[in-house]
Amino acid sequence: MLIPRRTKHRKQHHPRRTGAATGGTAISFGDFGIQAVEGGYLTNRQIEAARIAMTRHIKRGGKVWINVYPDRPLTKKPAETRMGSGKGSVEWWIANIKPGRMLFELAGVPEPLAREAMRRAQHKLPMKTRFVRREGGDL
Amino acid sequence: MADSIAAELRTEFGKGAARRARRAKKIPAVLYGHGTNPVHLNLPSHEVFLVIKQSANAVLDIAFDGKSELALVKSVQKDVVSNDIEHIDLLLVRRGEKVTVDVAVVTEGESAPGTIHAVELQSLTVLAEATSIPERIVVSVEGLEEGTVVRVADLELPEGTTTEVDPEAAVVLVTVPRGEEEPEDEAAEGEAAAEESEEA
Repeated sequence: MLIPRRTKHRKQHHPRRTGAATGGTAISFGDFGIQAVEGGYLTNRQIEAARIAMTRHIKRGGKVWINVYPDRPLTKKPAETRMGSGKGSVEWWIANIKPGRMLFELAGVPEPLAREAMRRAQHKLPMKTRFVRREGGDL
Repeated sequence: MADSIAAELRTEFGKGAARRARRAKKIPAVLYGHGTNPVHLNLPSHEVFLVIKQSANAVLDIAFDGKSELALVKSVQKDVVSNDIEHIDLLLVRRGEKVTVDVAVVTEGESAPGTIHAVELQSLTVLAEATSIPERIVVSVEGLEEGTVVRVADLELPEGTTTEVDPEAAVVLVTVPRGEEEPEDEAAEGEAAAEESEEA
């Protein structure tokens, strides 16, 4: 699972949820991609689940890129705890996703297989996404 | 062959005017180059979309204000979610003039059984005549064996097209795919690091 090795501060404020992605919106490495259409918080567990769904479906062959990294900690206070006594402990690591962000990329497999693999991965994600292919495309 | 587009001069500026133009199915654009003053235009949305969809380096024959100019699509701003074109930068070119453009690299065929090919260089910067820019550079990977590297020097560029990219730069790599590997070591290390950071 993706977790930062070292952080400057243990706990952070919640990331901003407004606006659209300004970078990382195009396919940079592979031939196909999953692009976020909505914003949201993507946890490291969801990234891992999507990666496993994709790689298990394509079996051998193909290469998967994960274009986002869960570098923001979110905290939670334990259940039935009175308010106060400081900020809760880190519960999740998340990537702050803005609409338009390319989440995963895939190469080295035919399009029907890529579509199905990515459809399975999309079901693991908490926001609306779409399948995209590289402009220019293969012949 | 340049596509003819009838444009109109833009007289009002700013985001309000630009949004009004977009609502009226027009795309704000700017035309510049050859030391001339920039000209602000409105282009018909659908026609331009169809031309740019065919080729990222389209050359347009822009007719406006009683004259006609040849222009290369230099930059296209799109909405990241809806993919609507928001603004276009057009560069004035002359027939026979050489321009530097990025051309997409695409592969053709299948590499040897059990191997996959990865396109390392998705686009190649080339110097070509403005009126004959290649739409794509095709690399055949048919039957290539594991470990084969197609370099820039191996590419067959169309006549009149040259590149200044390092000839040794890899364009396509042919490799054997790895099966699914669980990165247990990395996960364990990561968790350990997280625990350490919490303790600190």
